[in-house]
Amino acid sequence: MVLVKFDNFSFKYIGAETLALRKIDLTIEEGEYVVITGPSGCGKTTLCRAINGLVPQFHRGYIAGHVYVDSHDTRENEVAKLSTIAGMVFQQPENQLVTLNVEKEIAFGPENLGVPPDEIRSRVEEAIQLFNLEQLRQKHPHEMSGGEQQRVALASILAMKPRILIADEPTSNLDPKSAESILKILCYLNKQGMTVILVEHRLDLVSQDASRIILMNEGSIVADGDPREILTLEVCNEIGIGIPKAIQIYRRLKQNGITLPEVPLSGHELAKLVKEVSQA
Amino acid sequence: MSFLEVFQYTRKDSIIHNLDPRAKLVLAFSFASVSLSYTAIIPQLIIFCFIFPLIVASKSVRRWITSMKGLGALLLFILVFNTLLSTSTTPFSYSLALTFRLVNLMTSFSLFFLTVHPDQLSQALIQMRVRFEFAFAVSMAMRYVPTLANEAYAIMDAQRARGVELDKGNIITRIRNIVPIIVPLIIVSIRRALSVAESMESRAFGASQNRTYMERLSFRKRDWAVVIVSLFVFIVVLYFNLIIGLPEWMFYGLPF
Amino acid sequence: MIMLENVQFAYEGIYSALRGVSLQINTGERIAIMGTNGAGKTTLIKHINGLLRPQNGRVFLDERNTAHMSVAEIAREVGLVFQNPDHQLFLDTVEKEILFGLKKLGFSEEEAKERSSSTLEKLGLTDLIERSPFSLSGGERKRVALASVLASHPRILALDEPTIGQDALQKRYLAELLMEMNEAGKTVIVVTHDIEFVIEYFPRTIAMADGQIIADGLTGMVLSNSKVQELCSLTSPQMTQAAKALASYFPTVSDRMTQLDELEATITQILEGGRI
Repeated sequence: MVLVKFDNFSFKYIGAETLALRKIDLTIEEGEYVVITGPSGCGKTTLCRAINGLVPQFHRGYIAGHVYVDSHDTRENEVAKLSTIAGMVFQQPENQLVTLNVEKEIAFGPENLGVPPDEIRSRVEEAIQLFNLEQLRQKHPHEMSGGEQQRVALASILAMKPRILIADEPTSNLDPKSAESILKILCYLNKQGMTVILVEHRLDLVSQDASRIILMNEGSIVADGDPREILTLEVCNEIGIGIPKAIQIYRRLKQNGITLPEVPLSGHELAKLVKEVSQA
Repeated sequence: MSFLEVFQYTRKDSIIHNLDPRAKLVLAFSFASVSLSYTAIIPQLIIFCFIFPLIVASKSVRRWITSMKGLGALLLFILVFNTLLSTSTTPFSYSLALTFRLVNLMTSFSLFFLTVHPDQLSQALIQMRVRFEFAFAVSMAMRYVPTLANEAYAIMDAQRARGVELDKGNIITRIRNIVPIIVPLIIVSIRRALSVAESMESRAFGASQNRTYMERLSFRKRDWAVVIVSLFVFIVVLYFNLIIGLPEWMFYGLPF
Repeated sequence: MIMLENVQFAYEGIYSALRGVSLQINTGERIAIMGTNGAGKTTLIKHINGLLRPQNGRVFLDERNTAHMSVAEIAREVGLVFQNPDHQLFLDTVEKEILFGLKKLGFSEEEAKERSSSTLEKLGLTDLIERSPFSLSGGERKRVALASVLASHPRILALDEPTIGQDALQKRYLAELLMEMNEAGKTVIVVTHDIEFVIEYFPRTIAMADGQIIADGLTGMVLSNSKVQELCSLTSPQMTQAAKALASYFPTVSDRMTQLDELEATITQILEGGRI
């Protein structure tokens, strides 16, 4: 079923000179793992905010068209209402933790929604188990590493039981191992049925898990489809996408007359393909 | 600054820590009011004999001692100044009483701050019908104090690395040198505030009039006991002061 | 040349950040410093430009002990670009920002103006000269901060996490700029988590953990060391993973390859020649 639908949607921030989003038409089905990427300023952040309602309710501006999240029009539903359908994790872990310990943080969202205290308690316990936060229970955000903070942020969003998880460059400020573990969690959640929309520059880390990649540039969607198809397009080079190196090799080989049977998304896949071809 | 230590919360498990913050608030005010009613030495000493065991019960004696040491200079100042400027016949005795009174006041409020976690304070305010947004703003401010402090240090480092010399020059130069620190601090704080607001909005902050709370404070028998005793003592003292009057020996002081 | 001799440093005398660090960086080198947050990378950098002073041990800049130099003096030779440009920007226009740093370092009015416009031009910021730094995009603000440090032409350039939040094009642009600076004789030091950036552009890597240097040498060797990866919370670079996988199928292939060109050439050889 369709969970997110952009219908000829355009948006310009107040005071901006150009449109942040131009006539976006996009459909996202339940259970997909969509990765959105593009150069700085292409509109990917605005797109995310248009899904959970921050655009246009928090960020005012000029708007045309509609965005429907689980059939709810984002122009007519409050962010609070939409937050039970689409939860969002942001880039800075520090700015998402507003309370003095982990338990309260996870409880924050459900409390705001008026969920009964017993239910909140059980959601908090569930989240602590799922995200392995037992050791951090009473810790102040300041006492946690970036990776731990981001895990807590994810847990707090999930406590609101959304069906869609939007993550806007959640690993930018993290070290490689923490980044990997956050992305693993997202992949796991997707396998459990969560619709995941991830904005990420480092495609080598996510292209294998994603079911779909959307390329954006200057407010428009320029490509949308299977990672193996999209990442070999010429446009990737033109606009400055972080093409996984295995794919760069694939393209170079192709230019020199060697075509591998499939597009590799990782070093392992590349090696396997080379072996196949060499044995043929 | 070490005298502020006695107002800092520490995570401990003591009888006092486990009391409801509202009961402790009543207790602190009660002690403070009683202490304020007297300017003689002996009453203050008596009051101290009641307060100090509570400090011991809250396992915070060392902190109290550190604070008092930090306060030492101020106490000495009060003692000397009041002795010199007092118009009473026994100036030193009077100043000594005032000094003791200050110690008692600080100690009674420290009982509250030492043993009440900011979250509990927040929850206490909410249950006393303060609006959630205000109580939360207070605890959020506390949450971000270390962050802001770090930000300030980072800014000072960044500007020093450009050649700004923060520790040199006359008073005018030093004041001017605050600008490269304050402006970035304000800007990053505003940017941060917007970012935090987005996150909170996305978690339905302000959505419902019927906000629920996972942890509620509830009065137990011991909390009622504390409140009743505190109020009782306060009323009795008031009665003695206004109606009966205190025995002579309470006003004995030093003859100078 | 930069030299650290058994430097020890603890914040507020308690939180040990550097526990006996010794290293030598020669003029004209390009080095990356990697490690987990809290390993001491930023503390180390701050010792190089004098923001922090060792409690034990010594720091030398070209044979001169930095203990006798003020931060402002050192700033003429060591330019440190911090991670967050907003920590520096506070004036009304981009040009004023650049001039500010230059004047603080003692350049005359005309010298400052000249250096300012040439640096702004080099970084593609000439159109933004009159704009307020606060109205610029994140990427532009980063470039302004970079420009204000480059304008004084320091001999040593140190950058703290310069690639965070940057897209591929911006990273390439930064890398080219750093290469250019390095070819002109500047020593370039980068503190970063970005493995791909390091492996492509930095021949030497210093890996830190828990306040100590645990590895210092050729980037390829340091980053493919599993102990280093474990202690510094690093993952394997893309090409190293490819090389290892390839070597498992073709035993004669080196599993130490780190660059795209190497792998391309090797694969071409395998598929066209059959022999390596």
